[in-house]
Amino acid sequence: MSQSGVQVDAECVSKFNELKLGKSIKYIIYKLSDDFGTIVVEETGSDKDWDNFREKLVNAKTKSKQGKEGKGPRYAVYDFEYELASGEGTRNKITFIAWSPDDAGIGPKMTYASSKDALKRALNGIAAEVQANDEDDIEYNTILAKFAKGK
Amino acid sequence: MASQTLTSSMQPTDVYGGDEVSAIILDPGFSSVRAGFAGEDTPKSFVSSYYGVNEGGQVFGDDAIHNPLAGLDIRNPMSKEGIVEDWDTATRLWEYAITSRLTSFKQADPRNNGLNDDLKDLDVEMDGVEEGEKPLEEHPLLMTETAWNSPKNRERAIEIAMESWGCPAFWLARNSVLAAFGAGKATALVVDVGASTASVLAIHDGLILKKSIQKSHLAGNWLSSQIRTLFATSEPKVELVPHYTIMSKTPVDAGAPAQATYRTYEKEVTDSFRALEEERVLTEFKESVVQVWTGPGRLNSPMQAGMTNLEYAKSQPGRVFEMPDGYNQMWGGERFTVAEGMWDERAALPVAGEQPVQKGQTISEMVKASVNAVDMDLRSQLLQNIVVTGGTTLVNGFTDRLNNELTVMYPSARIKIQAAGLTAERRFGSWIGGSILGSLGTFHQMWISKKEFEEFGSSVVEKRCK
Ligand SMILES: Nc1ncnc2c1ncn2[C@@H]1O[C@H](COP(=O)(O)OP(=O)(O)OP(=O)(O)O)[C@@H](O)[C@H]1O
Ligand SMILES: [Mg+2]
Repeated sequence: MSQSGVQVDAECVSKFNELKLGKSIKYIIYKLSDDFGTIVVEETGSDKDWDNFREKLVNAKTKSKQGKEGKGPRYAVYDFEYELASGEGTRNKITFIAWSPDDAGIGPKMTYASSKDALKRALNGIAAEVQANDEDDIEYNTILAKFAKGK
Repeated sequence: MASQTLTSSMQPTDVYGGDEVSAIILDPGFSSVRAGFAGEDTPKSFVSSYYGVNEGGQVFGDDAIHNPLAGLDIRNPMSKEGIVEDWDTATRLWEYAITSRLTSFKQADPRNNGLNDDLKDLDVEMDGVEEGEKPLEEHPLLMTETAWNSPKNRERAIEIAMESWGCPAFWLARNSVLAAFGAGKATALVVDVGASTASVLAIHDGLILKKSIQKSHLAGNWLSSQIRTLFATSEPKVELVPHYTIMSKTPVDAGAPAQATYRTYEKEVTDSFRALEEERVLTEFKESVVQVWTGPGRLNSPMQAGMTNLEYAKSQPGRVFEMPDGYNQMWGGERFTVAEGMWDERAALPVAGEQPVQKGQTISEMVKASVNAVDMDLRSQLLQNIVVTGGTTLVNGFTDRLNNELTVMYPSARIKIQAAGLTAERRFGSWIGGSILGSLGTFHQMWISKKEFEEFGSSVVEKRCK
């Protein structure tokens, strides 16, 4: 349950359903609208390169209530593809990422963390979730290691 | 659930809609009450939870309670577990915290603002108070509570807000959840060391996992009692001299007897008053002298052949502490020993009238028990999302030691501790979290409205505030 009352825009779900079809969309980045009232789609992408996607999170910005721009949290869904260690082909995991860099302001951090569940619950079919607070947490290998452990 | 959030027509219709007026955030703790307007960075009102009682009735606030002339008996409405025990007084203390500092706050009727008048008189007068005179009737109120608050206490809180104060809307938020959110985490292991209680608990997707709650008394008050033992057992004994006893002092050499002129009072102060004033000196000592052995290992464990960590610590530069009477001395290894019992029960100094510290009460063991109480799948995630909060975690070296203890306890796990660098965020973390939530335009969806309260009664708080 959301603990902030923040709403989820309908497009958040429709884009997610497109991603689930596994054809065109590789990832979706969500953000809070400027008035912190609604979770909206910021962008979707088909680029398969994890590092490009990661770069977008690392560079994400948010305005504080005083209008000062600083690092910004985001939510994202990524259709994570990885090779099985046994060499038996590839697997896909639709992964929800709650990105909230430690050096973002407390206002955005608070609002994103307390609203996360509203979005997560609106999206049906998430296989894994990653809570990430520093750049290491969203290294491809960090996430891969998580899945390799069966988690 | 999911689709409900998508259409505005499905939103509850009786939501509280008065968002032009700032909500008030009230964060009561054992040592202090934090109160202020939502949207502000720090609480405007920061009031001691201790209050004084004399023949004239009760007095609240730092200007009143530290007066040695008033013949005050000092008490606290909170229990040793940091939850409300004496509701009548707590209500008045909070009213004081709100009305004394939050200036744009509507002036309460002096007959019922509860300030410094006798309890019996108040009860009588409350009966005669008209609807229109309630002190908070324009402001929604967001209150914080501990994870172990009782259902009865939760209902009592909404009753006071709605019935006694006339709040148009109310919300009750868990202080640990607010601290985790403020660190950008919906899932976290929260280590909160305040004045009365040290606690460790797991939060998953914004909800406290009940079975993970661990708490003990190894917090600020306990640390104060460790320092008392240290002073009493020093050779020679160190006198704990509060400020109010001193008229003037002359500087003396380290370790030399104090040369001060003392104040005398016609009426002897009470023991509880003296204890409160001693506590202020102890707090200064905690802030400037006490040091946690950061590791590796424990203070009493061997470092190298023939030398323990304590012996090494003793060889390090010490810190000077000056008592209000001018007595001063250098504290070396001892400044480490007072905090060691938080981590190593065998190192705790004995406190008169108290049971020896148990292993399970130490911070590290509480983390272990808390983590072990949750699903295997969640454990590694919790260990890399540890949030440290509460005033006593500001004691030097706390976070480093926690990190060292946990690294030894979980050699193959990734340990990551998040502790706000700003003192204000560490001490007021839950107030600040409440302030941000309460100022969100969307939070009007959350508030329990007066109408809801009238319709469903106080048990609505159990259903709505999880
Ligand atoms: N810099 C510091 N170093 C050590 N201890 C400190 C420091 N600052 C405050 N404290 C201690 O922190 C405690 C107050 O912390 P906090 O405000 O978190 O407690 P509280 O919320 O009022 O109490 P509780 O959580 O037990 O209800 C006091 O015991 C105080 O002595
Ligand atoms: Mg507290």
